[in-house]
Amino acid sequence: MTFRQFAYRNVFRNGRIYAAFFMASCFSVAVFFIYSMLMFHPNLGRGVLGEVSLVGMAGAEVILVLFTLFFLFYSMSAFLAARSREFGILLHLGMERRQLNRLVFIETMVIGIASIVIGIIFGFSFSKFFFMIVREMLYLEHLPLYLSWAPFLLTIGVFTSAFVIISYLSVSFSREYKVLDLLRGIDQIETSFQYSIKRAIKGVVYILVGYGLIIFTSYFTGYLALTIFVPLLITFGTYYFFSDTTLLLLAIVRRKRKINWRRFRLLAIAEQTHIMKNNAKMFFVVTMVSTLAFLSVGVLATMSSYTTQYNLINPMGLIYKGDANNPYEGEHIRSLTEQLEERGLSYHLTRFVVVKQTSSATKNEVEVLRESDINRLLYSYNYPMVNLQEGEAMFIPNTEEDLQILKDKVVHTVLEENDIAIQIDRVYPRVIFPKAVISVNSIILSDEDFEKLWYVTSDPTVAQPVYHLFTFDVSNWMETKDITLDVDPTAMLNKNSPYKLENAGLNYSYIVATYSLFTLVVLLVATVFLLASGSFIYFKLHAALERNQQQFAVLRRMGLTDSELKKLVNRYLFPQFFVPWGLALLHCTFAFAALQLFLKDLVNISIAKEVILAFSFLIMIQVIYFYLIRWRYIAHVRS
Amino acid sequence: MPILEIDNMTKVYEGKVTHRAINQLSFTVEEGEFLAVMGPSGSGKTTLLNMISTVDEPTSGTILMNGVNPHQLPENELAYFRRRQLGFVFQNFNLLQTLTVEENIILPLTLDNQPLEEMEERLAIITERLHLQAILHKRPNEISGGQAQRTAIGRALIHRPSLILADEPTGNLDSNTSRDVLELLMHVNQEQKTTIVMVTHDPIAASYCDRVLFIKDGEFYNEIYKDDRRQMFFQRILNVLSLLGGGQVGDLSTIRLP
Repeated sequence: MTFRQFAYRNVFRNGRIYAAFFMASCFSVAVFFIYSMLMFHPNLGRGVLGEVSLVGMAGAEVILVLFTLFFLFYSMSAFLAARSREFGILLHLGMERRQLNRLVFIETMVIGIASIVIGIIFGFSFSKFFFMIVREMLYLEHLPLYLSWAPFLLTIGVFTSAFVIISYLSVSFSREYKVLDLLRGIDQIETSFQYSIKRAIKGVVYILVGYGLIIFTSYFTGYLALTIFVPLLITFGTYYFFSDTTLLLLAIVRRKRKINWRRFRLLAIAEQTHIMKNNAKMFFVVTMVSTLAFLSVGVLATMSSYTTQYNLINPMGLIYKGDANNPYEGEHIRSLTEQLEERGLSYHLTRFVVVKQTSSATKNEVEVLRESDINRLLYSYNYPMVNLQEGEAMFIPNTEEDLQILKDKVVHTVLEENDIAIQIDRVYPRVIFPKAVISVNSIILSDEDFEKLWYVTSDPTVAQPVYHLFTFDVSNWMETKDITLDVDPTAMLNKNSPYKLENAGLNYSYIVATYSLFTLVVLLVATVFLLASGSFIYFKLHAALERNQQQFAVLRRMGLTDSELKKLVNRYLFPQFFVPWGLALLHCTFAFAALQLFLKDLVNISIAKEVILAFSFLIMIQVIYFYLIRWRYIAHVRS
Repeated sequence: MPILEIDNMTKVYEGKVTHRAINQLSFTVEEGEFLAVMGPSGSGKTTLLNMISTVDEPTSGTILMNGVNPHQLPENELAYFRRRQLGFVFQNFNLLQTLTVEENIILPLTLDNQPLEEMEERLAIITERLHLQAILHKRPNEISGGQAQRTAIGRALIHRPSLILADEPTGNLDSNTSRDVLELLMHVNQEQKTTIVMVTHDPIAASYCDRVLFIKDGEFYNEIYKDDRRQMFFQRILNVLSLLGGGQVGDLSTIRLP
């Protein structure tokens, strides 16, 4: 038997032990491959998403590779630690360290190559399915399966080098243990780590200050710059939380006999102390990684809620707004209608004259619209008409919330410039215009009163006392995205520009493109992160298995029933799974609470429903994962 | 009144190589007795102990403990039986590394959900008897072998079992600590009338017992009872061992031709 044969047989005959590491590698390869298939897809590169998305996807791919590298390295080290006894025997029999390193290297490469092959086969067979999902999500017409050498070559190249790097790193970075320690199993070695009360308090304080700051800045947006401290505070706080705070809490509980000396608590708390002492760094990494995964999933949910609510916010296709003395008006409107007709899009054009007045009740500027103008638009919407008598007026709500506020409000005021007394006692029951098209202070005036508006606002700060508004109500508003004015698009951004064009279709297409890119990136990153954070814990358990097996053997002899064993295992595993994930969820909850407060001011959308949905989905995944690993763990411990 | 009755017990390990570990072994242990089971390596001592501790089942024959056959109990009842009726002392102590000394000792009581006052009371009595007061808050890896075995004995005693099973309790200890541990077991046996079954192949350890049972290749070989003087008893144990020990001594030809 040659040395190489020895290594091969080591792998193939110990299939069960290698299975976990092999599966993790396979999955990483498969995800990477599927994603490369998408990245190299001939339809995607030039098409919908454009250049930006390709860069974004490549960026995600790089993050993915780096993270996979770290993940595989970590699993590899945990895996080697679990096999310390075996290595101890080999060294005891007189194997050189150099030979041992070669053994590890060959074994890793065998597993690596096998997992690359299996992973690519697995990935390729699921590509079509994945493409179908992507097609649905991005509203593409078709996204066929294709065959090209590029994704294959990329995956093989990246992962072969990854496995070479990992096997070198894990060998050269592992501590040189004594043969005797290896024979005993390195998990038995006690770390002499002591928690410090100062750091323990720091952990909690940092996290709380981080939370406080994030809520504070979302209320007082002026201090937004302070948010850069939040990730820093949370990161350090989380680290101290796992390295010291948990140990302090456990030590306090352990001192209280009344709490500690109870059924399984005695064992579970002692076990947690041991685990926390040895694995604080791992828990920290799992928490941070999960936080990132949750954050990205949550942001994705937010984006999806934004895109679905976009339709409600922007019911109109095109809106052209121009000053009363805008010289291009006729030309532009003609161009727009021609373009719409060219594309065969049916539209309903309404022209508004908006006059600015000063209200005597508030001394504020108010924009006045004419009853018959608005009725023409409402007719095309199929909304209820407005019927006003002389001296009556109606609020136009800008948002759903305004609607609630204005519902029961009655205002008696005089339009000062023209001395027209009106009573505003109603609000139009629906939001008519997209936000920021007309002012927040807008009313509808009856035709009779509107005729009397002779003098415009005398306020010298108002630039355009009268402006014209052209609304194109297009039912297929998503298709208006290539309609433009034949002028330099940057001219419109100029503050003194006499006109402005709002194109809902174009804006929406930007949002959809960003959203789809983001979806692709986030789905990938979140999947891998979630999987990895669970696997970290699994591998750690795997490394500690031998010690726990011994412990459970003693306990069973002492008379632990099978159901009690399961309960005890629950208490061992539960905190390991749910404390890091729970903390990650808490971090994210605060982040999203802040985002919600912030978004409320900005675009007035609610993300609570989507975020809660996404989070419950994540929690469900974790619970499934917990039971899966518990099942494997109990099977191992019983044997 | 016998506390443990073993009748015609046979254990056969089946597998690729069938192996008969215990063959038609019968003996009884009286209440309050301190019994040593001796025999050479591979004679089935540990198998016997495993079956008495109910973690392994005999192929045929019966075990009665206080008139109950534990192997006929349902699985949960069996675990409760072990938890309440049996105490274990192992060669490598088998203390739980994550627990302190006092936590290790009270572990059987916490598993049985005893009230705190009861636990504290019993812990106080046991630690005083075993002189463990100074090390109560230490971890198993911070104490000596003798202290670890005393802790393990404390754990075996705290729930007041009717039978203590000891598997080579002095196997990992030096001679002085061995003596301490054995004297401790002897005192426990004499003062509390706790029945102890100890498996050993150390004749010195066996000489502390009331009776020594010898087995060879899974079969009953011989048994001897305690003398007035431990020295004499030890000598007699050695004699039996030398007969038991191998072919040459026991198989001397009885007929010599001139």
